[in-house]
Amino acid sequence: MRNILKISGKLALICAVAAIALAFVNQITAPKIEAYNKEKLIQALSAVSKNYNISEICIPVYAGESGTDLEFSSVNEYYTLTGNGILAGYILSVTANGYGGPMDMIIGYEKNGEVIQARLLKNAETPGLGKEAEKSEYMEVFLSKGASDPIPLKKNQLPPERADAISGATITFSGVAKALYSGSEFVKTQLTDSKK
Amino acid sequence: MLKEFTKGIFKENPIFIIVLGLCPALGVSSKLINAIGMGAGVIFVLLGSNIFVSLLKNFIPNKVRIPAYVVIIASFVTLVEMVMQAYLPSLFESLGVFVPLIVVNCLILGRAEAFANKNSITASIFDALGMGIGFTLSLMLIALFREVLGAGTITIMAIGNFDGVIKIPGIYNAPARVFGLSAGALLVMGYLKAFFNWYSSRKKVS
Repeated sequence: MRNILKISGKLALICAVAAIALAFVNQITAPKIEAYNKEKLIQALSAVSKNYNISEICIPVYAGESGTDLEFSSVNEYYTLTGNGILAGYILSVTANGYGGPMDMIIGYEKNGEVIQARLLKNAETPGLGKEAEKSEYMEVFLSKGASDPIPLKKNQLPPERADAISGATITFSGVAKALYSGSEFVKTQLTDSKK
Repeated sequence: MLKEFTKGIFKENPIFIIVLGLCPALGVSSKLINAIGMGAGVIFVLLGSNIFVSLLKNFIPNKVRIPAYVVIIASFVTLVEMVMQAYLPSLFESLGVFVPLIVVNCLILGRAEAFANKNSITASIFDALGMGIGFTLSLMLIALFREVLGAGTITIMAIGNFDGVIKIPGIYNAPARVFGLSAGALLVMGYLKAFFNWYSSRKKVS
């Protein structure tokens, strides 16, 4: 009995020392990490906003009667974009589903649901495969889609030379595409229509 | 001491001879730069865990040694992740996802269990460095084959205007993409292991 207490006491001591060391380092690094992430967010916002001004930030209030609309539950918040003082579009902060879990995306839309530009932020995709989606060229196939042109959701809707580039990372692609699509629908049905 | 160092690179190479840490190795060997990054992470964590396991070898009760090692390794990995994220954000961006993978790298637990808990600190340091470098070199070899055959490129550090990607004419336009995917990883690994087995058996005969 005393032996077991001694053993578990030692293990608990090791855990406690490890926890204290981690808490101490976290105290020092957490503010730096937060500042860096904020800077990344600001960079992404300016990249997807074209030449419009970013104004207010809003938490979506869903137009659906039940209060929250599950279809658009991936939209976390949105910013409105104005050009010359008139409402011109929206930036959506969206959580997409990738291969390595949730991915944070920032997507700019025109008022009619057309994709201006998109950026992938925090994600846990596989480097060399899904991680390629962080590059700005990756989003090229989606630009100016969403209004008259549909957003490509499957590999066979892409031009062949682009389809090759997503081989091996199909889940990432379809996660990104779905997020862009539901964001575009969100802009069209929930934001633009309800403000008419 | 030198023997502890070189055995990890040749005689007891973690990938090709003792076959430890294969999942992360095959997972990240699609590009050369990823292999280097993973290798650097493993060397650091292996060094830290070997030092601490060796220091505490008389304190840790034998019955709970595995949980104790896991706590030490996981703390080290979390520490590396936090420090890297705060002070080297650009490095973290490209390598960040490998860092949590190191926790489940059986090479590190394997060395703690098989070496560090029986040997002195200096021997453990040399063992960690040798094993870590051997792991990195093997990973780089697999990655080199996979990237050249599978994508026709060699990706190294980006410096200034150079984006770090060397394109190999001929293969770049028509790569065998299977080498970039998981099946190719196993193929390359298998052939390399066969080659090293053949090489070492030939040496024994002569």
